[in-house]
Amino acid sequence: MLPDVQEIEDLIARMALGNRRAFRDLYARSSAKLFGVVLRVLEDRGEAEEVLQEVFVKVWNNADRYRANGLSPMTWLIAIARNAAIDRKRRNHAARPGDVLSETLPDAAPGPEAQAIRASEREKLDGCFEELEGRHAEAVQRAYLDGESYADLAARFGVPLNTMRTWLRRSLLKLRECLSR
Amino acid sequence: MSGQSPDRDEDIVLAGEYALNLLSEDEAAAFEARLAAEPELRTLYAAWAEDFATMTDAVVPVTPPPSVLSRVEGRIFPEPARPARPGLLERFGLAGLAAAVLAVALFFGADLAVRAPTSPAEPAYTAQIAAEDGSLVVAAAYDAETERLFLDRREGAVPAGRALELWLIAGEAAPVSLGLLSDDPVTVVNVAEDLQGALAGGVLAISDEPPGGSPTGAPTGPVVATGPITDA
Repeated sequence: MLPDVQEIEDLIARMALGNRRAFRDLYARSSAKLFGVVLRVLEDRGEAEEVLQEVFVKVWNNADRYRANGLSPMTWLIAIARNAAIDRKRRNHAARPGDVLSETLPDAAPGPEAQAIRASEREKLDGCFEELEGRHAEAVQRAYLDGESYADLAARFGVPLNTMRTWLRRSLLKLRECLSR
Repeated sequence: MSGQSPDRDEDIVLAGEYALNLLSEDEAAAFEARLAAEPELRTLYAAWAEDFATMTDAVVPVTPPPSVLSRVEGRIFPEPARPARPGLLERFGLAGLAAAVLAVALFFGADLAVRAPTSPAEPAYTAQIAAEDGSLVVAAAYDAETERLFLDRREGAVPAGRALELWLIAGEAAPVSLGLLSDDPVTVVNVAEDLQGALAGGVLAISDEPPGGSPTGAPTGPVVATGPITDA
């Protein structure tokens, strides 16, 4: 197992036992990454801060259930952050202007080995996206990174909702076929 | 397409839609019910979650303001209720104390989880952050054990539609934000480990900022109060 993965899993395991220091360490290692993910979806600093609070409260409360879900620790954290941000975005519904992000301090970087493996996984996904039609790849990326719904995507690409759904579902199947090659 | 059974293809797609949060609430709930019962479906979902997560490598990390951590810790680590005087605990026993605290809380309608924290009994450092004309006075006390800075606003208020941001200035270094003063008189700030060393001999300052705090990471409005940090 990668050293980073192991370390974060250890922190989550200690958090499940109520260790506050472990929580602080996990926060230090992951908060900038997760804040970036939440901001990307919400495009509003104040709201993103509120959602990030909810995210870390959830992470603390669910640390004992981490093992059962079969995800690697960063993926688990990202999923919690994305879900919370998208829930908030869909509850708001009202469009609002994005604010300018100026504070962009990088998070502690993963080690070289983890970076290399991660980079090769990302290249594989990028390569598979390239096999899709441009708009179709963009739709998947916007759904994931920006939290756009089928309705948002249909409006963005100017196609009926059912067409959008068909595009996206076909794209998923092609992506999986490519990724498992 | 993938040369597998239509049912499996359908599950691959469904797991992908779930991982992208594209399902309706009802569809997502139905999928989650199946996830709990079907390990194969969990594997399909996990594969999508892991693959898609690599997309976040392109998202620029942004350091959240320190106030986020303080608020999270305020929610997940509620301070244990402390007896007003030593000896009370022994006299009434823990259950008696809990009952007494609950009775008081019910009487005053107080919410125990959000009651104002108390200033540390033995602070390592203190500071009086004051405006020249005395229109804003904030007493600060740092508790080395909990790594928290307690701020008690004794004079002045957060101006309507504005924010008051607290900065730590060590020597010639650029000010580092410690977070925003709350609208309540008491604010508790967690001091990050790498900043703790800068407290001794440093200066605390408060600047007037737009709602949500300085958008640049450095003070943008006038500094309205300052105070040197001294050993307690």
